Amino acid sequence: MTKLGLIYLLLIGAIYLVCWRKSPDKTVSSLRTGATALVKLLPLLLAIFALVGLLQEFVPQTLIEEQLGATGGWHSVLIGGGLGAIAMGPPVAAFPLAGSLLNAGALPAAVAAFIVAWVSVGLISLPFEITIFGVRYALLRNGLTFLTALLIGWLIGMVI
Amino acid sequence: MKRGSQRPALTLGAWARAHWLPILTGILYLGALLYAPQRALRALTSGGTLLLSVALIIVAVIGLIGLLQVWISKDAVARLLGTDSGWMALLLSAFCGMILIGPPYLIFPLLQAIRKAGARWAVITTVLSTYAVKLQMIPLESSFLGWRFSLARSLLTVALAIPLGLLIEALMEKTPGTAGKSE
Repeated sequence: MTKLGLIYLLLIGAIYLVCWRKSPDKTVSSLRTGATALVKLLPLLLAIFALVGLLQEFVPQTLIEEQLGATGGWHSVLIGGGLGAIAMGPPVAAFPLAGSLLNAGALPAAVAAFIVAWVSVGLISLPFEITIFGVRYALLRNGLTFLTALLIGWLIGMVI
Repeated sequence: MKRGSQRPALTLGAWARAHWLPILTGILYLGALLYAPQRALRALTSGGTLLLSVALIIVAVIGLIGLLQVWISKDAVARLLGTDSGWMALLLSAFCGMILIGPPYLIFPLLQAIRKAGARWAVITTVLSTYAVKLQMIPLESSFLGWRFSLARSLLTVALAIPLGLLIEALMEKTPGTAGKSE
């Protein structure tokens, strides 16, 4: 994993060098934007990884297998999507959680539904979406996107 | 619940809402420490080890976020998506959604501006769907879930985005009385 990280880091570094030649100003401001994003994300990242540790240590694997595992079938996909729809946060947070669920024996289909619903269905941000786009659109979009998340999960279950 | 109307003057409630996850984690750890201190420490260690193992990837992703945010003009995107209304706009919105970065409370107002600039409902919906792909996050996603999973999820999300957008647009325009722009 560290090797992979180094490769990505080198790749991004190379892009920064190219950008630097085009416009040093914009490149510095890119670095600054990234640093600001990191500072803003840091409490959340720490919390998420701490939470994953807690999940691995305290939530019995059998519970995850029961609720999200292969035997559950559609039930598992629905639970995965439902968890994702309720919880809302940046995707950086969704991936470690999803990974630990997968390792604990959750169905890939359920995990995929969880991620898609996490990012694009937001029960918490629904009131905000309603004020911006109106009730009709917000409900339609969240409802149908939730169904799409389940569909994507189901399709992934067939591919993986 | 209205985050848009939030003023800089932070109330305790607003602060708690913004940081609900760290707060929740803290409370859970407090409980775990009282209940089983050793297991709580073990949980913290395993979380920390996991974080360290992907720290470099996170730094790289953050670097990419900075690049995308500075070099891609959001105004240009809004102009482009607002004026075009054909298939190109749909494909373009699928692409824009993939590289769009920012929390929903920034994305929604941006899309509202695009909508007011004349964009179709299908364009708005497509952006919001492919917004779940996170091109810049794929390295991170695949390190946790594997390449096959990450690739399949991204491709399926993109493939379904435009059909879903068109479906929602059709439903929005079904009864002209209530549909249309909501200001």
